[in-house]
Amino acid sequence: MEIRVKQKRIDEERFLEMRKEVLAQWPTGKEVDLEEAVAYQLSLPESKNFMKVTEKARQEGETLIWPRAGTPVLEDEIALVKTLVDAGIRHIPVTIDSYTRLLQFEKAQQALEESIKTGRPMLNGYPIVNHGVKKTRKVVESVEAAFVPRGAGRLAMEIALASGMTAAGKSSLFEFGSYEKKTTLEECFEHSQYTDRLAGYYTERGAIISTDIHGLVPSGVFPFSVNIACIIIDSLVAAEQGVKSIMPQTHCLGHMAQDIAWMRLIPRLMREYLEKFGYKDVVVPGILANQIPLFPVPQGMGGAFAYLNYTAMVAALAEAEAVFVRTIDEGAGVATRESHALSYESANWILNVVRTQKIKCEIDGVETEEKVTDVEVRAILDKVLELGDGDVVIGSIKGVEAGVIDSPFSPNINIKDKVLGVKDVTGACRYLEFGNLPIPDEIKEFHREKIAERERAEGRKLDYQVAVEDLWALSKGRIVGAPSAS
Amino acid sequence: MKKQATVITGTVGMDAHVIGTKILSRALKDAGFNVVELGIQVSPEEFTEVAKKTKADAILMTSLYGMAELDLRGFKEKCKQAGLEDLILYIGGVLGVGRQDFKEVEKRFKKLGFERVYPPEANLESVIEDLWNDLRAKGKT
Repeated sequence: MEIRVKQKRIDEERFLEMRKEVLAQWPTGKEVDLEEAVAYQLSLPESKNFMKVTEKARQEGETLIWPRAGTPVLEDEIALVKTLVDAGIRHIPVTIDSYTRLLQFEKAQQALEESIKTGRPMLNGYPIVNHGVKKTRKVVESVEAAFVPRGAGRLAMEIALASGMTAAGKSSLFEFGSYEKKTTLEECFEHSQYTDRLAGYYTERGAIISTDIHGLVPSGVFPFSVNIACIIIDSLVAAEQGVKSIMPQTHCLGHMAQDIAWMRLIPRLMREYLEKFGYKDVVVPGILANQIPLFPVPQGMGGAFAYLNYTAMVAALAEAEAVFVRTIDEGAGVATRESHALSYESANWILNVVRTQKIKCEIDGVETEEKVTDVEVRAILDKVLELGDGDVVIGSIKGVEAGVIDSPFSPNINIKDKVLGVKDVTGACRYLEFGNLPIPDEIKEFHREKIAERERAEGRKLDYQVAVEDLWALSKGRIVGAPSAS
Repeated sequence: MKKQATVITGTVGMDAHVIGTKILSRALKDAGFNVVELGIQVSPEEFTEVAKKTKADAILMTSLYGMAELDLRGFKEKCKQAGLEDLILYIGGVLGVGRQDFKEVEKRFKKLGFERVYPPEANLESVIEDLWNDLRAKGKT
């Protein structure tokens, strides 16, 4: 099979040609004038620049809260972001609706019109393409905060950046591993190289656009090493296209020592690999901790508050620059504006109180977890680079085919799904099935011992049913899953 | 087992949530079923087409985004039109937007033609046991 995409910067002429096609996808594409947009970006205060806001938080020893903020009607969106800023929010991730994500702009238009007519939101996010640049600038100008579009495709990203949003939350492996059913990684790389190149274009002209990177996102009980390898791959891809500020996202899977170890390890390894491949001037402004596992169902307020604040606490102890917390309504669906405000107010309480104490946390196990994951990530990346003969893009495409990059819970049919994770006796995520992951033998043995320890403690074999029980653990107020009643 | 039963799994509608259907599919395979996994974002039409083509005995649908009821309007009739009256239909997951009384949810989906309706915390072993019983009752195994 011939692979079209490579780890190579898109040349300017070709990029400008590609842009014409992208901007023609919907009439609002005409509102994007790149030179005017760069000038607009340069006129914005530092309080709207993602990298500068993040760096300020780092210098001041603060952890910023990421909310989720996207509603279809413009006036409602403005009211929502004002509520968030009043609750102390300074990074605003704007969730884009599913139709826009799937480039169904006509459907999004109908649903937007219906939302305006009925006063009831018919879309699960902000249809940025339909609103276009002029209207979206009104959102950006309405508050002092840095905006990040979530789930933006190429045209959505064009509009977001021209509207004054200063980060591009999109990466190829994330799109491939979490949202797509049949799309190949090669196609996802083509998309993200475009949006990365766009961010690079602004950056070269003085308007620094950051990108935030997720990795493959196995949203379950699964050690994070595959994901960290993917975060590094996507960082290298973004850097090649001229991105100079890359913020990684980690997932808090609940085990404090692991979550903190991963938060420490990710920026360190990213800097090392960026340096190794010659991207020496790329900044990693911070780490974003993302709250992932299931929320209490049926919605229990005690558990919901405890869980979101536990995540805030772990992020504070890890001295993360930002934390993506869910609201107390997560278990029930879409949060009300009041729930947003209440949830962030309570997380901010924890963040302020803990960060002010400047606690240097020595938690047993952090060092071991960091070492184990470090070895695993390097082994995966070595194999990827070997498969690509030094080209990280080609290596990743081949790596997915070979199961060197794999995930147990991906919706994408192109992912092998030969791997599985469960928790050990203390609630740390361990590999139960390694598939074709190139994990070194001594590390495999470490995982097997941890699995055997839990098997002895519970007097049963660990299997997929246990993986399911573990998935439920945190929503039931436990760190390790309990056998469910048959 | 007299005959290996064929069952279809998938997440219905525009829903991209995958974990439920993946784990369920695996449990079914381990229990000896021939599983046709359709993955995420499966339209009701795809379910019925594949059921006809594979002569499936049951469909086990999952849903998390709360809109399955909209996706499945008229599903019972579609199955009848396709000559699939005999097909066993199960669904499980978060089956409504916001807080829900499960008894009400169960009633709504039974009306849509589902023999069994499961809440998100359903135990897979009991689901598979129910499936064996229902297959046996219909003389399919």
